[in-house]
Amino acid sequence: MTARDAILARVDRAAAAGRVPGVPVGAAPPDERDRHDVLARFVRELRALGVEVFVEASDGDVRARVQAHVSGHRTVSWAAARLPYGTATVVSDGIPWDAAYADQASADVGLTGCDAAIADTGSLVLLSGPGAPRSTSLLPPVHVAIVRRDDIVSTAAEVFSHAADRMAQSACCTFITGPSRTADIELSLTIGVHGPGRLVVVVGP
Amino acid sequence: MSGVAMPLTFHGRARAALSDRTLHEALDRATAQLRSRRSTALDSLEHSDYVRDVARRARMTALRNLGALLREFESRLTENGCRVHWADTADDANRIIVRIAAEARVRRIAKSKSMVSEETHLNAALERAGLAVVETDLGEYVTQLAASRPSHIILPIVHMTREQVGRLLQEQLGVPYSDDPQVLAGYARAKLRAEFLRADMGITGANIGVAATGTICLVTNEGNGRMVTTLPRVHVVLMGIEKLVATMADLDAVLKVLARSATGQQLTAYTTLVRGPRRAGDACGPESMHVVLLDNGRTRLLAGESAEILGCIRCGACLNVCPVYRNIGGHAYGDTYPGPVGAVVTPGLRGIGNWAALPDASSLCGACRDICPVRLDIPRMLIAMRQEAVSCTPQPAWLRFGMRAFAWTAARPPMYRIVARLGGAVLRQRARNGWIHRAPGPLGAWTTCRDLRAPARRSFERQWRSRTEARHDRA
Repeated sequence: MTARDAILARVDRAAAAGRVPGVPVGAAPPDERDRHDVLARFVRELRALGVEVFVEASDGDVRARVQAHVSGHRTVSWAAARLPYGTATVVSDGIPWDAAYADQASADVGLTGCDAAIADTGSLVLLSGPGAPRSTSLLPPVHVAIVRRDDIVSTAAEVFSHAADRMAQSACCTFITGPSRTADIELSLTIGVHGPGRLVVVVGP
Repeated sequence: MSGVAMPLTFHGRARAALSDRTLHEALDRATAQLRSRRSTALDSLEHSDYVRDVARRARMTALRNLGALLREFESRLTENGCRVHWADTADDANRIIVRIAAEARVRRIAKSKSMVSEETHLNAALERAGLAVVETDLGEYVTQLAASRPSHIILPIVHMTREQVGRLLQEQLGVPYSDDPQVLAGYARAKLRAEFLRADMGITGANIGVAATGTICLVTNEGNGRMVTTLPRVHVVLMGIEKLVATMADLDAVLKVLARSATGQQLTAYTTLVRGPRRAGDACGPESMHVVLLDNGRTRLLAGESAEILGCIRCGACLNVCPVYRNIGGHAYGDTYPGPVGAVVTPGLRGIGNWAALPDASSLCGACRDICPVRLDIPRMLIAMRQEAVSCTPQPAWLRFGMRAFAWTAARPPMYRIVARLGGAVLRQRARNGWIHRAPGPLGAWTTCRDLRAPARRSFERQWRSRTEARHDRA
């Protein structure tokens, strides 16, 4: 008998012993959340996490804001087609998204889009795929993410139900909630351990 | 702890820990802070009771259907392009991973934090096979440099002060001394960045696996979990067979309580959901991905009184509230999983034989049950473990005889009254001002650290009888 069959046989026998308690759960409490203030909530949560956040009214304003953060800095960015508001045009000193890891790691800024955003927790949801690798939001010390206002939802549950198909197409889905951090040494908050220590979010119209 | 031999028994280790002042200060500071952060994050959550019920249901339902979920998980993983391996024992798991490394011509390995790899002593096995392995979680990296082991599920070096960490990095890395955590983290970042970039293989655990989609969920704050699942060309996941939930909705239920209970965050900085190796057109991610499913005693636990403990989500909250853990720290427990959860899991996984003292490492105060985000009834399981310990370890002759004599006496009321009156008289003779400073026989264990109140002149039973008689008279 293979290890697989032996383990599964033991699991089935153990389950038959019925030692795991059942869990009666009451009715779900009514959802009284105000869904009109998702943007305000998102911004509030991001600020609490130490994220720099800007809400812009037009495509041009988004491009100007992004330009202010990338100009003069070596920037690795997602493919132009994956960046909203035509932001790819503002990157001049660019490292391509599929450059060698060492080159990407030498960049000052990583510029990405965002597939969804979660207001309740201030999270960005990034799906990996062609032109949108995970390394861009990971290797440089600064991550600038562009969020479309319509992509902001209230809860993670909404992402799991609405984006199920897109998630299935992608090898990796990352929820980013604030900059890289640790509290391993005496619980003292330390920012920027392995991932970016600075996270900038630009919300467009 | 490095270089200092640990005492062999639980009591010896606990005694050593109790006299360690630095350890006490570190534990007091950290556990108090974690307790308050957790209560801000979870208790203040709207409908927190309901949220905890739903998380508990997700875990218990998974355990009740574990066989079906494991088969489904295996199918989805395979469809996603992963290779699935099954390991009966810790040694089997280590052998499988060494073989994967050999077949892929791996030389350097970067690991993110994984309790189950501590359980199997994976690092030692990899090193014996000639592989270079580096821990990349800051706390785990420090324990690796110190040749020590983590002492808390989520804060591996909770037992160390910043000065101790500073001196260790100075010695081991040749960097200038600092006691500033930001500087120390900077040293680790520089050193480990190079390791991430040249590692051939990344090894992770799994915080949760989702059967319906074949997803591996990893939560990290530093980003090391992302690094080792993104950069190396091979990714190996080592996970216990119990760490499954059925659906993405159940994953959401567990994520809602996990970080809040562990660190007081709503979500950790990075929640990574991996669904297999890189796909066509991807510029990063591993070329091959393996998932090793480990039993190592879990099916035995599942069949017994303490099956419920397998629902643990490893948040560490029960450690921070446990009066025993807060005094002796994690190393005294002697194995991977410390605290109240460890006192059930360790004897459960390893067998009660060598771990019979652990279920006694509790006052049964119930703080662990109250704090547990998935409401595990740890005190109930500790009592079950104690029963198992008594029934399968030899008890001293005087205790066996004594308990039999007590049972015989207690079943015969006239005899019981005589013995109780005699015993009371003997104890009262030793008392001074109503207190006994040194009690005879087995009661001496009580009086080694506190006084014993002298028994009352009229026993409870006599008082009770005269009360009920008086009531009858009135009626």
